[in-house]
Amino acid sequence: MKASEKTAPLRRITKEVFLKAKQYGFSDRQLAHIWNTSEKVVRDLRRKFGVIPVYKTVDTCAAEFEAHTPYHYSTYDQENESIRSDRKKVIILGGGPNRIGQGIEFDYCCVHGVYALEEEGVETIMINCNPETVSTDYDTTDKLYFEPLTLEDVLNICEHEQPMGVIVSFGGQTPLKIAKALEENGVCILGTSPEGIDLAEDRERFGALLRKLQIPHPKYGTAYSVSNAVLVAEEIGYPVLVRPSYVLGGRAMEICYNSAAVREYMKKAVDVSPEHPVLIDRFLEDAFEFDVDAVSDGKDVLIGGVMEHIEEAGIHSGDSSCVIPPYMISEKNLEEIKAYTVKLAKALNVVGLLNVQYAMKDGVVYVLEVNPRASRTVPFVSKAIGLPLAKIAAKVMVGRTLKDLGVKDFDFRKVKHISVKEAVFPFSKFPRVPVFLGPEMRSTGEVMGISSAFGGAIAKAQMGAGNTLPVEGRIFISVNNSDKNEITLNIVRDFLKLGFSIVATEGTARFLREHGIPSDVVFKVNEGRPNVVDLIKNGQIQLVINTPLGEESRYDEFAIGWAAIENKVSFITTLSAAATAVKGIERQKQDGFTVKSLQEYHNEIEA
Amino acid sequence: MPKRTDIHSILIIGSGPIVIGQACEFDYSGTQACKVLKEEGFRVILINSNPATIMTDPELADATYVEPITPAFVEKIIEKERPDVILPTMGGQTALNTAVALAESGVLNKYGVELIGAKLEAIKCAEDRELFQEAMAEMGLETARGAFVHSLDEALRVADDIGFPIIIRPSFTLGGTGGGTAYNMEEFRSKVEHGLASSPISQVLIEESVLGWKEYELEVMRDLKDNVVIICSIENFDPMGVHTGDSITVAPAQTLTDKEYQTMRDAAKKIIRRIGVETGGSNIQFAVNPSNGRMIVIEMNPRVSRSSALASKATGFPIAKIAAKLAVGYTLDEIPNDITKETPASFEPTIDYCVVKIPRWDFEKFKGVDDTLGVQMKSVGEAMAIGRTFKEAFQKALRSLEQGRFGLGADGKDIIDVRTLPEEKKPEWKKKVLDRMKMPKPDNVFYLRYAFQLGSTIEEVHHITKIDPWFLYNIKQIVDLEEELYAYRA
Repeated sequence: MKASEKTAPLRRITKEVFLKAKQYGFSDRQLAHIWNTSEKVVRDLRRKFGVIPVYKTVDTCAAEFEAHTPYHYSTYDQENESIRSDRKKVIILGGGPNRIGQGIEFDYCCVHGVYALEEEGVETIMINCNPETVSTDYDTTDKLYFEPLTLEDVLNICEHEQPMGVIVSFGGQTPLKIAKALEENGVCILGTSPEGIDLAEDRERFGALLRKLQIPHPKYGTAYSVSNAVLVAEEIGYPVLVRPSYVLGGRAMEICYNSAAVREYMKKAVDVSPEHPVLIDRFLEDAFEFDVDAVSDGKDVLIGGVMEHIEEAGIHSGDSSCVIPPYMISEKNLEEIKAYTVKLAKALNVVGLLNVQYAMKDGVVYVLEVNPRASRTVPFVSKAIGLPLAKIAAKVMVGRTLKDLGVKDFDFRKVKHISVKEAVFPFSKFPRVPVFLGPEMRSTGEVMGISSAFGGAIAKAQMGAGNTLPVEGRIFISVNNSDKNEITLNIVRDFLKLGFSIVATEGTARFLREHGIPSDVVFKVNEGRPNVVDLIKNGQIQLVINTPLGEESRYDEFAIGWAAIENKVSFITTLSAAATAVKGIERQKQDGFTVKSLQEYHNEIEA
Repeated sequence: MPKRTDIHSILIIGSGPIVIGQACEFDYSGTQACKVLKEEGFRVILINSNPATIMTDPELADATYVEPITPAFVEKIIEKERPDVILPTMGGQTALNTAVALAESGVLNKYGVELIGAKLEAIKCAEDRELFQEAMAEMGLETARGAFVHSLDEALRVADDIGFPIIIRPSFTLGGTGGGTAYNMEEFRSKVEHGLASSPISQVLIEESVLGWKEYELEVMRDLKDNVVIICSIENFDPMGVHTGDSITVAPAQTLTDKEYQTMRDAAKKIIRRIGVETGGSNIQFAVNPSNGRMIVIEMNPRVSRSSALASKATGFPIAKIAAKLAVGYTLDEIPNDITKETPASFEPTIDYCVVKIPRWDFEKFKGVDDTLGVQMKSVGEAMAIGRTFKEAFQKALRSLEQGRFGLGADGKDIIDVRTLPEEKKPEWKKKVLDRMKMPKPDNVFYLRYAFQLGSTIEEVHHITKIDPWFLYNIKQIVDLEEELYAYRA
C-alpha cells in the first residue's frame, strides 16, 4: 500500500471531529493509534485544519480582573491569552511527577537554571506538570506552562513561544527522552547536543571513545536475545551486572554470578529485543565507587567535587551513602579521576553539567558511566562546596565561560569540612518487602550531615535519616563467608572498645572466637527459641549488622530485617557501612555536637 | 493589622528527607515562606536536613542549618541564633512534631521563643483525635464512630460495637503508616498489632468504616481579624477508603449540590475558628454518604499540606506565601493578590476550568508488595493537569504521569483489546473486568474504559467502584467518542 492510499480514510476527518477529540483530551499519539497512522501524520493534519491549542491563564478570578502573572494551560478553545514577548527566551523542561530515581534534585536543578538565566537577562519559561514543586510556582519563572512533558505538548509551546532554545538536561530522564525528537522538529537544544548525550549512552560508540582516550573501563557487552546474553556474559567473565538499556534509577538491574542466573534474569525480568537490548558489564566486586559532578563550557572544566561511596560497588549510587571529600583514595588516583573527567567532558563536547561514575579496584580507576546532564547529587555537591553548579551550568549553556564567571580555577581540595549524604528508604510503608540494598534504587530521599570530622558527619546524617545510632548496649552481628575477614574483626574490636557487647550467630561467633574475640551465640530464626528476632523485639539488641548470605538464608534475613525496622533498631547490611557506623558512634559518645550554618561553612572555604 | 514589629528573626523548620507522604510540596511551601519573610526584612533562620531542597540554598535564608531535625538540634540552633519566633507550619508533620516537642519540654519558654502560624493548643486540638472529636461534637458536627485503644483487648471490645469493616489508624504516624482496613477478625487482630507497633505512643484509632463515601477537602485560611476564606474545594474521584494522597483528585468539587457545598463551607469556618488556627492555612477533610447526604468531618491539618500545594497550583493563590504573611501579623485584606494586583487576598479564588491530579506509584521496585490502595499512602509522586473540562484535564493528567500512557488507553498499551474480542467472549471478559475493579488498584482507571467498552452501564460500574456517576458518565463519554473516531481509521 502506498502512503497516500494508507491515509485515504483520514481524508474524511473534518475539523469538527478533530476539535471535539482534542477537547475531550485525546493526544495525537492516541489519535495516531486509533487511526492507524503516525503521530507526525496526525500532527500535520491537525495543524492543516488549524486545530491548535490556545493558552488560557490561571488568574484566581475567572477573568474578572486583569491578570499579571503569566501562568498558563493549553486547551482547544477561542482566544489565546498567552502573549509572546519579544525578549530573548529559554524554555526549561521540568522533571514531571516524582518517582524513585527522579525526584526533588531535578527540580532543584531546573529552578537554579531559572535563577541563573534571569540573572543573564533571559526570559525564562518553565514547562512542568508536578504540582508539588517550586518550579511550578508561578513566582519562579517569567512564564509557567502547567502542561504534560510529551513531545506534542512541548512542541506546541515551542511553536507558540519561539524560544532561542530549550534546556533538556536539568529535569532528569523526562526531558531527555524527547530531546532528539524536539531537535528533529527544529527546536534548538541548549548545552550538550543530543548527539553528545547519545554518544555517552551508546555502549559501542562510547566504548570506542574510551579506548581512544585510553581510559580503563570494565569489560562490557550488549545482548539482543536471551541465548546471546549468556554468550556475552561468558565472554566478559563473571560476576556480571545485567540491566535493560536507557533507564534511570537502575530499574530491574541485577548482579549475576553464573550463567543460570543470567538465564533466569533474562527470562523473568525483561522483554529483550533488538530495540531494547540488555546491557551486560563486568561487575567489579569489592571495588570502591566514586562520583564526580562537573561543569564544562567546552573549553574549561570545573570539577565540583569527588564523592566517595560508603557502600561498595553493586549498590545503586542513589541508595549508597557518600562522602565529600573522598577518604580512601590516593593522590595519584584522585589526579586520574580529575584528568579523565576533563578528557571526557572535552571529547563529548559537554556544555553544562556532567556526572561521571568511577570504580577503583587494586589501584586502577575505571570509568563506569558518563551522564552529560544534571545528576541526583548536584544539589548535595553544591551545598558541600558552596558553589551553585546548576546555576553555573545554565549560564554556560547560554554562552558564558567558566573563566568569566570566575570559577575556572576552583579547587575542590580546598573544602575541608566533611559532608555525608545518607539515603532514606520507604520500607516501613511496604511490610515484608526485601530490605537489602542492591543495584536497583529504592530510596525516596536523602539527608546530609556536615561536620569538621568524619564521625560527626556520619552521626548527623544517621540522625537526620531517623536511624539514631546507639551509644551503648548490644550488637548483633552475622556476616557471610566472604566477610569473615580482618575488616569484620576490626569492626567488632572497635565496638568492644566502645563498651558494646556482641551477640552473633553460630558461624560468625566461631570465627570471632578463633580470633580471640568473645561473643554470645544466639539462634537463627529457625534454629530454636529465643532467637535473634526475640532479642530484637525485647529491646535486647541495639544495632544489627547482617551482611546478606544469599538465597539459603533469605528467610532469616527477612525476619531479622523486618524485626529491626518494626522495632526501630538500626540495621546495617554492609561492612563498609558498619565501619563508618563505628566512627559515628565514637563521635556520638562524646556528645557536644555543634551546629553551624552553610553560610559559615562556605565562608571558611573562601578564606 | 500591619506587620508585627516585635519580631526580628524567625526560625523555619523544614520537613527533612523525602519520604512517602511527605515530599517536595514542603520545599515549595518552605521556599515561599523563606522568600517572603526575607523580603519583609526579617532575619530568616532555617533548619532542614535535606540537601536536595531549594529552600536550603544559602541565598534563601540568612542562616541555613543542614542539621538533623530533632528537638536536640533545633534547641542548639535556638541557643545559638536566639530567634524571636518559630514558624512550624511549613515543614509538614516533621516540623509540627518537633515544635510540639520543644514547646512541651519547656525549651521554647526557656529561650522566650513564640510559636507563630499555629499555637500549641491549636496543634494539639487538631492532631489529637480525641480532643478533635470532642470539639466537633460540641459544635454539632459529626465524626466517624470509634475510639482510641492502647491494646488489642481494648480494640476487640470497641470492634464489637462498631461492626466490620473497621478502619485502623495508628496515632502520630506519617501518611497513616501502619494503618489499614479490616474485613474480618483475623485481619483486625494483625492490623491492630501492626498499628500499635508503628505508633510512637502505641495508640490506635478504631473507627467505623465510611468506605465508599464521597471524600472532599477544603483549603481554608484565617487571619487575626477572624477573616476566613475558602481557597479551594477538592473532590476525590476515588471514594473513602483510599488515602487522599493515593486518590485521583479534582478541583473544584464537581458533584456537590450548592446546599451541600454551603453546609461544608460553614462547617469549615466553624472548625478553623474552634480549633483556633489564627494565622494561616488549614486543610479540612469531609466525607459525605452518597445515599443520604450525611456529612462527617474526617480530620484537619493545621498547617500547609500536600493538598494546599495542589490548591495553590490549581487556583494561582499562593497559600504558603500568604500563610507566612498572616503569621507575622498581616490580615487577608492587607495582602494584595499578586496575580491581579487589584484584589486583596481576602477575595476567594474563582476557577473557570477543571484540575485533575493523579498519583504515581513505583510498586515494581518492591518485590512482593501489595499494590492494593488503602488508608496508608503508597504513591511516590503525582501529576496535575488543567483543562476546560474534566475530560480534557483527566486525559492530560494521564499522559503527564509518564508511565508510557498517552491518555485513557487507545494508545497501543492496553492489556485488553476489546475491539478484537469475539462477541461471545465479551460477557466473560466483562465479568472479569468488573471483578478486577472491586479492589482499588493503581491501574483501575484503565479498567473503567474496558468496562464501558464491554457494555457495562454506569450503574453497574458505580455499584462496584462507588465512583460518583458523574465522573463515570464523563469517562463513558471519552470511551464513546473513541469508538466514533475509529470510523476514520486508515
